[in-house]
Amino acid sequence: MRRVGNTAMAAVTAAALLSGAWLLRNGSETHAPPQPTAAEAHSGPSDPRSAPPLPPSPPDRIRIPSLRVDAPLMGLRLTGAGSLDVPPAREKNLAGWYEAGTTPGETGTAIVAGHVDNADGPAVFYGLGAAKKGAVIEVARRDGTVALFSVDAVEVYDARDFPDEKVYGAARRPELRVITCGGGFSPGTGYQGNVVVFAHLTGSR
Amino acid sequence: MRRTVRLLTGTALAVAAAGAAAAPAHGGDTGGRLEVFPATVVPGGDVTVTSTSCGDSGTATGDASAVGAGHFTLAPTAHEGEATGHFRVPPSAQQGTYEIDVICTEGDDWATGDLVVTLSSERAQVSPRGSVKTGVGGALGPDPVQTAGGVAALAVAAAGGTWLLHRRARGDGI
Repeated sequence: MRRVGNTAMAAVTAAALLSGAWLLRNGSETHAPPQPTAAEAHSGPSDPRSAPPLPPSPPDRIRIPSLRVDAPLMGLRLTGAGSLDVPPAREKNLAGWYEAGTTPGETGTAIVAGHVDNADGPAVFYGLGAAKKGAVIEVARRDGTVALFSVDAVEVYDARDFPDEKVYGAARRPELRVITCGGGFSPGTGYQGNVVVFAHLTGSR
Repeated sequence: MRRTVRLLTGTALAVAAAGAAAAPAHGGDTGGRLEVFPATVVPGGDVTVTSTSCGDSGTATGDASAVGAGHFTLAPTAHEGEATGHFRVPPSAQQGTYEIDVICTEGDDWATGDLVVTLSSERAQVSPRGSVKTGVGGALGPDPVQTAGGVAALAVAAAGGTWLLHRRARGDGI
């Protein structure tokens, strides 16, 4: 009887030791957000075709089913320095769109941005760097339509040499950019750049 | 220009209100707010208006004749109690502020909003510059929950180990 008790205690001790070590090791590991591979970068001239543009209507929500993203959108303006402002960091599942610009579905370049993480951990666009060409992005709009976009490319750009024209420049068809932080991370300066998803309108419902 | 438009609209609404006076009125004398998007547009541009004034029936008739775009229909959206419609500002439209009105198909509720026509587009001309600050590295640090769990598990292991060693020292046999 006593021997059984001892064996059980030994087993419990061993299990606690192993799981404790595993938890400590795993808990102290870094969980860097996924970054796009070269296969998802722009390759050759993009297909100029797209669905007919939609009338302007502010967006309510963005969904990227392949990344399990489903988040409300708030209006964003520019900072004093002219860069795009961002949603409040404490709201984990909130993205924003540049409300002085093109609405998603209209002809032109609509811009959506959201956090990759906040002080507590991963945020709305943590997985954005894992987006694949051809993935569907849905934007639900105020007028009840849902604009459907298809991913053309996923790039990562350094903040010191950010290609403004490529990312924010005008487009002749309805296009979408989805932006979050990315590139390397250094404790002093934070994320080194941005992950940018390029997409174009393929339809609506 | 704008004053004339307002006066005319006011007259039309007064007539409409008088006609509907016999029917049960629900807020017919105070128009609701109409969301006009974009609020500023260049001639030839498309405009979307959204109204929450028409209740569940949803449908309504929009009047953009002030800006020369005539009448248009508002249909219910996926959002409850909301109706939306589109019109295009004629390329010949002049600069100014125009009143856009919506009258509900059922009842005598209405809504009104302003549309500004400018000849040079301010909208979408200012693009953002540079990178976006969308992360602080919070996903990169240690996971406090896992760390706490690990510490607790190791404490259990230490207690168990101590107990077993204690047994052994007493010669209870392991």
